[in-house]
Amino acid sequence: MKRTHAATTLVSLAVASTLILSGCTPSAGGNAGSTTAAVSQADIDKAMQTPTTLTFWTWVPDIQQEVDLFEAKYPAIKVEVVNVGTGTVQYPKLRTALKAGKGAPDVAQIEYQYIPSFRQTNSLVNLQPYGGDELKSKYVDWVWNQVADDKGVWSIPQDSGPLGNLYRSDIYSAAGLSQAPATWADFASDAQTIKDKTGSYISNLPGNDPGQVVGLFWQAGAKPFSYDGDKTVGIDLDSAATQKVVKFWQDLIDKDLVSTDADFNDAWYQGFSSGKYASWQTAAWGPVFLQGTAANTSGKWTAAKIPQWNAGDDVSGNWGGSSDAVITGTKNPIAAAEFSKFLNGDAESTLTFANKQFLFPTTTDTLTSPDFTGQASEFYGGQKVNELFAGVSDTVSTDFQWLPFMDYVYSSFNDTLGTAIADKADMSSALTAWQDAVVAYAKQQGFTVK
Amino acid sequence: MSAAPPLRRTSPSRASAAPARRSTIRRPQLFAAWALIVPFLIVFAAMFLVPLGYAGYLSTFTSQLVGGEVFSGLANYTRALQDPSFWAGLGRVAMFLFVQVPIMLVIALFIALALDTGRVKGGKFVRLAIFVPYAVPGVVATLMWGYLYGTDSGLIAQLFRAVGLDAPTLLSPQNILGSTMNIVSWEFIGYNMIVLYAALRSVPTEMYEAAEIDGAGAWRTAWSIKIPAIRPAIMLTIIFSVIGSFQLFNEPNLLYSIAPNAIGSDFSPNLYAYNVAFKNQDINYAAAIAFLLGFLIMIISYVVQLATARKERLS
Amino acid sequence: MTVATPSPFVSSAVPSRKEAARARGKRPVERDKRRSSVLTIILWMTLAYFLLPLVWLFLSSTKTNGDLFSTFGLWFGQTFALFDNVGQLFTFQDGIFVRWMGNTALYAITSAVGAALLATMCGYALAKYVFKGRSFVFALILGAVMVPLTALAIPTYLLFSAANLVDTPWAIILPSLVSPFGVYLIRVYAADAVDDSLIEAARIDGAGEFRIFTTIASRLLAPGIVTVLLFALVSTWNNYFLPLIMLNNPALFPATVGLAQWQQAATGGGGAQVLFSTVLTGSFVSIIPLVVAFLFLQRYWQSGLSTGGVKG
Repeated sequence: MKRTHAATTLVSLAVASTLILSGCTPSAGGNAGSTTAAVSQADIDKAMQTPTTLTFWTWVPDIQQEVDLFEAKYPAIKVEVVNVGTGTVQYPKLRTALKAGKGAPDVAQIEYQYIPSFRQTNSLVNLQPYGGDELKSKYVDWVWNQVADDKGVWSIPQDSGPLGNLYRSDIYSAAGLSQAPATWADFASDAQTIKDKTGSYISNLPGNDPGQVVGLFWQAGAKPFSYDGDKTVGIDLDSAATQKVVKFWQDLIDKDLVSTDADFNDAWYQGFSSGKYASWQTAAWGPVFLQGTAANTSGKWTAAKIPQWNAGDDVSGNWGGSSDAVITGTKNPIAAAEFSKFLNGDAESTLTFANKQFLFPTTTDTLTSPDFTGQASEFYGGQKVNELFAGVSDTVSTDFQWLPFMDYVYSSFNDTLGTAIADKADMSSALTAWQDAVVAYAKQQGFTVK
Repeated sequence: MSAAPPLRRTSPSRASAAPARRSTIRRPQLFAAWALIVPFLIVFAAMFLVPLGYAGYLSTFTSQLVGGEVFSGLANYTRALQDPSFWAGLGRVAMFLFVQVPIMLVIALFIALALDTGRVKGGKFVRLAIFVPYAVPGVVATLMWGYLYGTDSGLIAQLFRAVGLDAPTLLSPQNILGSTMNIVSWEFIGYNMIVLYAALRSVPTEMYEAAEIDGAGAWRTAWSIKIPAIRPAIMLTIIFSVIGSFQLFNEPNLLYSIAPNAIGSDFSPNLYAYNVAFKNQDINYAAAIAFLLGFLIMIISYVVQLATARKERLS
Repeated sequence: MTVATPSPFVSSAVPSRKEAARARGKRPVERDKRRSSVLTIILWMTLAYFLLPLVWLFLSSTKTNGDLFSTFGLWFGQTFALFDNVGQLFTFQDGIFVRWMGNTALYAITSAVGAALLATMCGYALAKYVFKGRSFVFALILGAVMVPLTALAIPTYLLFSAANLVDTPWAIILPSLVSPFGVYLIRVYAADAVDDSLIEAARIDGAGEFRIFTTIASRLLAPGIVTVLLFALVSTWNNYFLPLIMLNNPALFPATVGLAQWQQAATGGGGAQVLFSTVLTGSFVSIIPLVVAFLFLQRYWQSGLSTGGVKG
């Protein structure tokens, strides 16, 4: 039995190989932008009553509880949750599956910055005909702009990461500081005070996390990337705004007021519980990370807004967050679209995401729901952290875009600016090197660089 | 082709022996021979030759995110030869070849010789214990050493601090190559030692008993009798280490997640090909890099064997 | 290479069995010699290098996440959490780790048996039959060793995908059936271990070629076969790259890929999961079967190794 199976597979392999070798070359690029007629409610009802199995790739822990809600409402639809790995592990797998034309899921979790790259290869189903447009009002503006443009709706927002500032109030008071810095200038002077009085670093800037650096650029008003959805990209990584950010941190790093450890590894977690770092300029999903890893510092933390470049301003950026997109090639686009919409739109589902998995919400309903904002956190001394970040979410600038090849952009960050940060070397010229590398790659891949 | 030179070297004798044999082979034997070989060859062709051919085919195309794939002949190969990332990776492999491989093999040889003297207390236990890391998957070994290297709370840092020294930054860009070498050595010293030890055990005693009676010390015996006697086994360990160095992938790929700035996407040519294929989505270029790499491995293995072959002929 | 004149490349790495037996007889390992305390001390010191990391791994699997980073690496932490960690390991994500270990065992054993069988048949035929194209076939097989894995990863993926094999156990097992080293080892071993005159005698007695192979040759080749089996087992057991690329479904992962994924989840940004002690406990548990197998089967692999010393 087994032998025969092996033999058949071998034969089919041989056949497949001849097929591929003689077959056409797969082509990529171009832009479908095909707008089909809107799907009617009758079609939707019919699809949701037809027994269907959807495959859903995600790395959100315990997402089964939200999936269960969906399956309870639509008993005909069964969702198979597959965790193929966190983002950087999942995307290559998704791409190879798409290239092979087989094995891709119906729905996949995709971080905002990677949406354009999957769009560029026509791998995302435009959700406009599936009622995507009507959702606009449900979501925070800047988040919606991350998943949709005038050509279509490419994904449904799941969670987001507006930037704030988490700090150790005990270290701050030991240094004689009574409150979080309001501006980056305050931040710089506090950094000196904290170092002198307590020996702690005010913060850590990792050289391996382009997401955080880009978030800081975003907050400073930089617009480093743009993409028209087709063949034209804009790359402006080396601008006045980005240089301002880089020079600011360079100064603190040179004075040894900010450390440059790689983040999310054991030593870095350890740095929070030992008081090596006095604060973390992080996203709205950050608070729960600390709760898990620096439990011994419970009650000593406070959440605040991110420092401002100009006194009196109130602007933030974003770091992280994901969406759930319907992947082309799905045989059940209606069910897949409905699933993604339910998961990230249903009141109970989004609230569960927010309160159980600590994914920071994207719907205005959940962001203003007392069940969410009213939660007081012991770890933050009883502070209503959610309420604070819900307010921050309104201050994120709305027109930030990404390039259709962020994998490359981020991996070249590690080789340029990231290395300069880690080595405490010249970050300004490294920023220029990053810009040059990205431009060269874009041209080599056939894009028109504005 | 690792056995090509020996094949060639024995060809004169084959010339004399083979015809006699060939004349004796009968049809049932010929049938049996192929019947025994064909199952392997089928799997080999399906799992190796076909993908290889397909990779070669892919390497002659250039792909762009915009514009798709076009036939481009050897353009990917010329691009690779001018690609600083490719050469940077090869440079690190060269460091492995000239630093890590010799150190690893010298240590392995030393331990094997020491154990072979039979003068080590608990030699059997030592032998097994040193071999144990070979049974540890590369993934686990790298993960574990990654923790040990940690600058703040890693074991090595703790030990340094315990004696009042500054902890070394083993995951920094300057040190990561050495740290990687250490992991590979840890995994494979035991394996190489066992191979060499096994070879030493089979050296007939008469060969050096006379020398010992003549009063030659243990070092002399080892150097002038034992080592030459196990040269083929040494060759084997060298060739496998050379191939292993060129194929370096698991260790840097896993260290990347804890020391991304130190490792970089082009740490080894194999890692670079992987990143080009899966992160930059340029399968065609990756295939060309991998082909070039295979070609280089072939040349170097051949050169290593030729060099030893000549040396043997001289002596 | 002919049977009559095995290559010098191999000749002394592979002693004739008679020679080996004689050597063994004349040179018992623990000959009554004077011990060298210098050598003993040096070797026992190197032992620290090889074993301390593993000791650390064991001790770490007895610690909580907090103790892991705040207590001395070579001693127990404040809480002895081994059983908690093991419990967590075997229940986390519905006990998927058990499945991973099972998968590892399944892939490794199936591949090893298949690889040893194919390699034995092929290696024996290459050693014992002279025919046209023999050296070409052998050179072709050995050439396979040179090609880096990545060259084949993506084409193989695309081909497997077209054959509907991606994300199935076959995607791991089928490529692992090819063991060029196994062929090489058996070929070298058979040249020595299976006497030509024995085969001739059997032929004269009227035995067919396959009967000779299955009854006489396979018995004489047994130590070589066991070695090929063991090393094919190790290489599949430890394989990371192939399953990393071929498998998407965590239910099919072997332990190596699963642990690496947990480690990534612990260090990566995606979700807040502090899995360090779970990952380390899993690492420790995952190496136990193979280490134990090596210790118990040492007689086999040590004798097999002396017949050619081949990796993989």
